[in-house]
Amino acid sequence: MAALQKLWRKVFKPPGGDLVAFPEVFEHFQELLEDHQKVMEIIADLGEKSGGDFIFDRKYLQDSINELHALLLHLVKGLNLISSNRYLDLYATLDSIFVPLEAELRGRLSLAAEMPFTVALAELPVDHPELTGGKAATAGEIRQRLHLPVPEGFVITTRAFRHFLEQNRLESRTHALISAWLADEADTLQTSRQLQYGILAGVVPQEVAREIRRRTEKAPFWAVRSSAYGEDGELSFAGLHESLLQVPPRGVLDAYKKVVASLFSPAALDYRRRMDMLGEEAAMGVLCQEVIASRASGVVHTLTLEAPERDCLTIYAYPGLGRPVMDGRARPDCFVVERQAPHKVRSREVFPKEYLVRPAPGGGEEEVAPHPDDRERPAIGYETIQTLAHWAMSLERYFKRPQEIEWAEGQASQVWVLQSRPLAFSQIPAAPKVEVASLTVRYPILLQDQGVVAHAGVGAGPVFLVQSDADLGKFPEGAVLVTRYTAPWLARVVPKAAAIVSERGSPAGHLATIAREFRVPTLVGVERATDVLKEGMEVTVDTNDRLVFAGRVQELLSFELMESTAFEDAAEFRLLRRILKRIAPLHLVDPQDPEFNPEGCSSVHDVIRFVHEKAVQELMDLPRFLKRFKGAQLWTLVSEIPIGLKIWDLGGGIGPEARGNEVTAAQIRSLPLKTLWEGVCAPGMWSTEPIQVDFQGLMSSLTRTTEAATAAGFNLAVITNTYLNLHLRLGYHFNLVDARMDPDPHHNHIYFRFVGGVTDLTRRSRRAKLLADILSKYHFKVDTKGDLVIARILHLPQEEIRRRLLVLGQLIGFTRQLDMQLKSDEDVPVFTEKFLEGLRPLGDTEAP
Amino acid sequence: MAQNKLRILILDDEPIVCKRLKPALEKLGYEVDTFTRSFEAMQAVEKARYDIIVTDLKMEGMDGMRFLQEAKKLYPETEVIVITGFATMETAKESFKKGVFDFIAKPFNLNEIQKVVQRAADKIRGTAT
Repeated sequence: MAALQKLWRKVFKPPGGDLVAFPEVFEHFQELLEDHQKVMEIIADLGEKSGGDFIFDRKYLQDSINELHALLLHLVKGLNLISSNRYLDLYATLDSIFVPLEAELRGRLSLAAEMPFTVALAELPVDHPELTGGKAATAGEIRQRLHLPVPEGFVITTRAFRHFLEQNRLESRTHALISAWLADEADTLQTSRQLQYGILAGVVPQEVAREIRRRTEKAPFWAVRSSAYGEDGELSFAGLHESLLQVPPRGVLDAYKKVVASLFSPAALDYRRRMDMLGEEAAMGVLCQEVIASRASGVVHTLTLEAPERDCLTIYAYPGLGRPVMDGRARPDCFVVERQAPHKVRSREVFPKEYLVRPAPGGGEEEVAPHPDDRERPAIGYETIQTLAHWAMSLERYFKRPQEIEWAEGQASQVWVLQSRPLAFSQIPAAPKVEVASLTVRYPILLQDQGVVAHAGVGAGPVFLVQSDADLGKFPEGAVLVTRYTAPWLARVVPKAAAIVSERGSPAGHLATIAREFRVPTLVGVERATDVLKEGMEVTVDTNDRLVFAGRVQELLSFELMESTAFEDAAEFRLLRRILKRIAPLHLVDPQDPEFNPEGCSSVHDVIRFVHEKAVQELMDLPRFLKRFKGAQLWTLVSEIPIGLKIWDLGGGIGPEARGNEVTAAQIRSLPLKTLWEGVCAPGMWSTEPIQVDFQGLMSSLTRTTEAATAAGFNLAVITNTYLNLHLRLGYHFNLVDARMDPDPHHNHIYFRFVGGVTDLTRRSRRAKLLADILSKYHFKVDTKGDLVIARILHLPQEEIRRRLLVLGQLIGFTRQLDMQLKSDEDVPVFTEKFLEGLRPLGDTEAP
Repeated sequence: MAQNKLRILILDDEPIVCKRLKPALEKLGYEVDTFTRSFEAMQAVEKARYDIIVTDLKMEGMDGMRFLQEAKKLYPETEVIVITGFATMETAKESFKKGVFDFIAKPFNLNEIQKVVQRAADKIRGTAT
């Protein structure tokens, strides 16, 4: 108890008390840096595990979260210790992040009160099939990840389903009826009838009904489809549950109950008993989508079932709505198309159409005879065949299994994806057993045992080398992206890539995260990849075995497609992704943003970013700093460049030969500071000529002077031998550099923030644009907002960090008074070019 | 390698472990059976001999420890590879110095376990160096 009180006093010292003494602050700050580093490593580790190369279990997830929680508590405590408890709110923030995280791990979060009754498809949370049901989850992913057109709509969630059961007191009744049936005390038909009667006679709860009415006002007709949890997943409930088409808004509530009741149809009950699923609670989500008044509709099978070895897909198409084909009353046209671009049509069968079904004017459907000209005509044209083939392959690449895709062509010829599910094989094709040893005889190995797996899987296609963002526009669908750096601007071609191989980068980097989002097999850190893999060469990338074969290894591709399950859809990986969503994203980038406060932190990453920023800010508060650090050794840098930089060395950053309180650049041992300074002092970069000020520039500089003068602060570098945190105020703009240069690339990063200037916002924004352009060329991930630039890069080897810090130093010098000179937008590329020109004489800094 | 295929049994109560390991080892030319329940694995072992057993240690029902003792009793020449959580690694090593071919800490990557299995296979075939 006494110990607890002591701890309490230590943690919650009354605010406004004496400033914490220097040695303590010193210690806490160092601990903060270490904890920060550890948290970043755990985040990186969790991200890497989601790529499929590792086998982990729940215990690992639990341990990681416990460790994160402990580290964050320690970080928050540390910040409060140096700031006299000004950030106690952060404890509540930690709760708001870790309580749901723990709940996720226990697996009961999705149905908790925070989940909605209905949610629009466009906002559907992915990786929550237990909330939305399988069909809706898939529709959401197709729309949000693959950006294919899916008809607008919304999902009535499983939470609404449970609420419906509760409100109508159906839970215990359902349970009792099912138990009796399982004990053979009642037959299936009778049980089903009683269960369904209860649901159909129930009343949809007010708050659910209100939401449904509000959402269905938007369109005249709706398709109301079952989306049971487990449906369209590994178990196929295809056809067991009800789906209603052409429902007018006023009919949606009844349709909802009918679909829910189909959860207990005799066939569905028997199926679940056979599959041993009755122990689990059945839950029904319902997907409501606007009806496409289709000119034609049909299905695509991404494999031609009759002849899987032919490497073709099959498109079935029929004019009007799909009903005649689904009911088996009409024969659809059939197109067998090559799976590989340019998707040549191998064969087609076109049948005469006796009748077709179309939406009836007052709701429902009507049967009509086709126009005589259309009777013998193919249901769809070349364009639609191409679009469907192309989309079908994207869907299969993403879901990693052969797909059965329902589609519709609207009156104006636009094509829609209605749904996609794993293709069920009536006779399972003989499992194509593959042994790597036997493959190597036929397919030469180009690269072996190199690099790190960022996302596991197999992909094949022609090599496309990307050197600069100018190449991106030409990136062909299904090509293998080969690149030297994992630059963030590559993100936009990731969804098109069959696989990615890069020479640099780490599985924790930005591009790796994107690759995982789009499930693209990715190897990073493969040396000489751009030398070995030549443009246009057909290759197969197998990241599971870290092999790149010459040619298209059909055996391996089919094995992956038919035999192994897609790890991405396993419950464990979904859980990890849901957890990561509460941990890894960084929303708080801009410290000037009003949201930059404890309540604004919505992820673990946000919290550590906030703590780090505030801890540094505490140190930067000049009057307090001087009072506090009386007696601390602060060095002053003696340099030709007169900025009066103060240096605080936390260990190993200054050579032992330095005396007094002044150091020269040569005495700096801190690698990042030394490097950056080398860049700042590079010949020609630090302009000393007086800048010609035009009238507009002068006026705004006069008005801004008062504003800026109030901002306190001085130029300070906090360093160790491998770390640098630099605050640099030059005139009226402000540079912040936080960097680490360790022998282990995984510890390394550069964070650069640049804001302000003396001229009007337009000119300052031009300078920001120039910085962003140049930094992107060096593979930084850059965000700009007005005159603010934030650039980040992670996990590069020491030498690569060195090159970039040099450039950054040069940029800091170069851009010092540049806003004055950027009089028009056209000046931006001119000065960008001038800067890059200026770099060349320095040797190793050509734009990579 | 294609003479007669070596048979591997994998036992882990987390299905994802089995799902990921099976294809990874099949691709190297092994015949693989997977189990998430130890009594089912035990029944399988009683019916047929496996060359290599890969098992987790802590599971519901009969735990991995007992399973591998029983299996070893039946076929002493079977090579056993234990996969276990990082935290329990030391205890595991302590209690199984004898009779276990190797230990792997979770989480591990596929390449790691493929290598260990290959080494065990080399030993069985007498080609170990």
